[in-house]
Amino acid sequence: MERLDSRVRLIWLLRSLVGSLVAGAVVTFAVGAVDRVAVSPVVAGGGVFLVLLAIGVLHVFLRYRAWRFEVRDDTLYIERGVLVNVRTVVPYVRVQHVDARRGPIERLLGLGSVVVFTAGSRGADVSIPGLVAQRADDVQETLRGLAIESEPESGDAGDAV
Amino acid sequence: MKLHPLSVPVRIVSRGVGLAWAFIIGGIAFAGGDPVLTSGVVVVAVLVFLAVTAYEVAYYRRFDYELTDESLDIYSGVFSRREREIPLRRVQNVDVTRSFVARLLGIAEVDVETAGGGGTEANLRFVGRADADHLQEAIRERRATLDRHESAGDVEETEGEREAVVGGETLFELSDRDLLLYGALSFDPRLASGILAFAPLAAPFVGDRVQLSGPGLAFVVALAVIGILALWVASAAARIIQFYGFRLRRVGDDLRYERGLLQRRDGTIPLSKLQTVAVEENLLMRRYGFASLAVETAGYGPGSAPSGGSEAAVPLAPREAVFSLARTLEDFHDFDLDRPPERARKRYVRRYLLVGLTVLAAGFAVDRFLTGVPWYVVAPLLVLAWPAARRAHGNRGFDLGPDHAVAQVGFWKRRTRVVPYHRIQTLIRRQTVFQRRWNLTSVVFDTAGSRSISAGDAVAIDRDDDVADELVDTAQDSVFDAIYRSE
Repeated sequence: MERLDSRVRLIWLLRSLVGSLVAGAVVTFAVGAVDRVAVSPVVAGGGVFLVLLAIGVLHVFLRYRAWRFEVRDDTLYIERGVLVNVRTVVPYVRVQHVDARRGPIERLLGLGSVVVFTAGSRGADVSIPGLVAQRADDVQETLRGLAIESEPESGDAGDAV
Repeated sequence: MKLHPLSVPVRIVSRGVGLAWAFIIGGIAFAGGDPVLTSGVVVVAVLVFLAVTAYEVAYYRRFDYELTDESLDIYSGVFSRREREIPLRRVQNVDVTRSFVARLLGIAEVDVETAGGGGTEANLRFVGRADADHLQEAIRERRATLDRHESAGDVEETEGEREAVVGGETLFELSDRDLLLYGALSFDPRLASGILAFAPLAAPFVGDRVQLSGPGLAFVVALAVIGILALWVASAAARIIQFYGFRLRRVGDDLRYERGLLQRRDGTIPLSKLQTVAVEENLLMRRYGFASLAVETAGYGPGSAPSGGSEAAVPLAPREAVFSLARTLEDFHDFDLDRPPERARKRYVRRYLLVGLTVLAAGFAVDRFLTGVPWYVVAPLLVLAWPAARRAHGNRGFDLGPDHAVAQVGFWKRRTRVVPYHRIQTLIRRQTVFQRRWNLTSVVFDTAGSRSISAGDAVAIDRDDDVADELVDTAQDSVFDAIYRSE
């Protein structure tokens, strides 16, 4: 089983920080606008910010611990989720296309993510975030190769839909 | 080929109605009786009307479609041109819709769906009625020819086969009696949610006038009963109009349905593209031994899914008839559903009790801090947790057959979904923190079907952890078996 690169936690932490900041700011303004609340807006906003941040940080670490994946012989296996544990099996023959993505912060940290697309309605796109850039390219290349290889030689059965 | 010339005025009117409203409401409010401003508004309205007319005429002149042996090509666009080529082998559904006005004018709208993207891939508004039928038939025929070439080399269609194909074989016809029954038995819960949204508005209004005791209470109850009855009649009427004259035929390898009183809909569902088959029974249907059949293709995009279950293959028929028809579409085994373990039922009991207790606590809090309500009357209802749990437990199950997985869920409306292994896209095991305490896991069989978004996937809920793992392994092997068998 392969784990994500530990630096992905930085990206997630940053995301939860931004989210908490926005929520805190909204609460601060909301409390400031309503006269009837006796609490100081800064205290309310700051409290919300701190609580959300604490939950966010805890979630990031648990999430990192829960995340793992494996490139198997004929399927891609992914396990993730804190509150809801989700284990997905994607047969390569079902893969429509594979993306390698690198956002600005990911690029700064030398990371990348791989997104696998199937024709399914629920698990239509399965993404593996936080891989070392080189590994992300590897995984994409491997998956692409395996997807082509697994195509049945004849018949319509391999046709996804 | 061009669109039907009448499509120009019809499109102008249908586009103009929305604009006209905006102008009448906005313009009159803006002018406020001032004659100069009013005439200005009229001038602008005329200009807009001319612009819409010019656009629609240009649209008509610059719209061209052509059906070749292998694809449907569409050239369209007034300002930016688009050439779209739809390979016939990829076509999922071809729908012909004739609204009431279109029927009077003898024109029809044709929609062609593929699995790609969101929305309808080709929308021809409008073509002549005969052209629409011809297009639908020609696409079916050419696709069948392409498929045959693909699978079995060059086998010419014999004259006899062609004869048999033209009219098709009627699989099911909804009689007038069954139509009425269907209207009566299929209550659309979406209507009830509309009433619930109004309730808070109506409650103070009624509450001010009526004392909540003795005759007043009886009045409120009577009002509620009348409301529910009216809702039921409205829902029945809507269904009856929607499904009037329903007929399902099998034409070659396609299913063809037609339905509708005012707006006629004539759609094709290619059997070779069938994703899942589902038998659905709501509370009333189950009581009287009826069921409906829904089939699912990958054609309709999430946003564009036609509402009201137009993909229903059979709106209402006796249960056995539905199952035997479902078997002719997808030859699945005689399944024997395996229910979740006994501890899952205990979990449901606790869950329903918890919900009941929460309601009770909320009622108590309201009574204590806001206004007096008889919160304790809910308490006896807690006993219902046991039968409710038994019901939820008894309606959940799954079975793995030689070629199909069968999964059943549903509290009010029971859905039995049949998924062929070769249609499974991904296998997903889900376990919430609450399930983890009981060592229970749900397994989702994800397909490319488009109904999954509205009606949920085929899912085996609350299985033992080990059973779930085994289930995934077996299903995975079966998927590979089904895909590579032909080699």
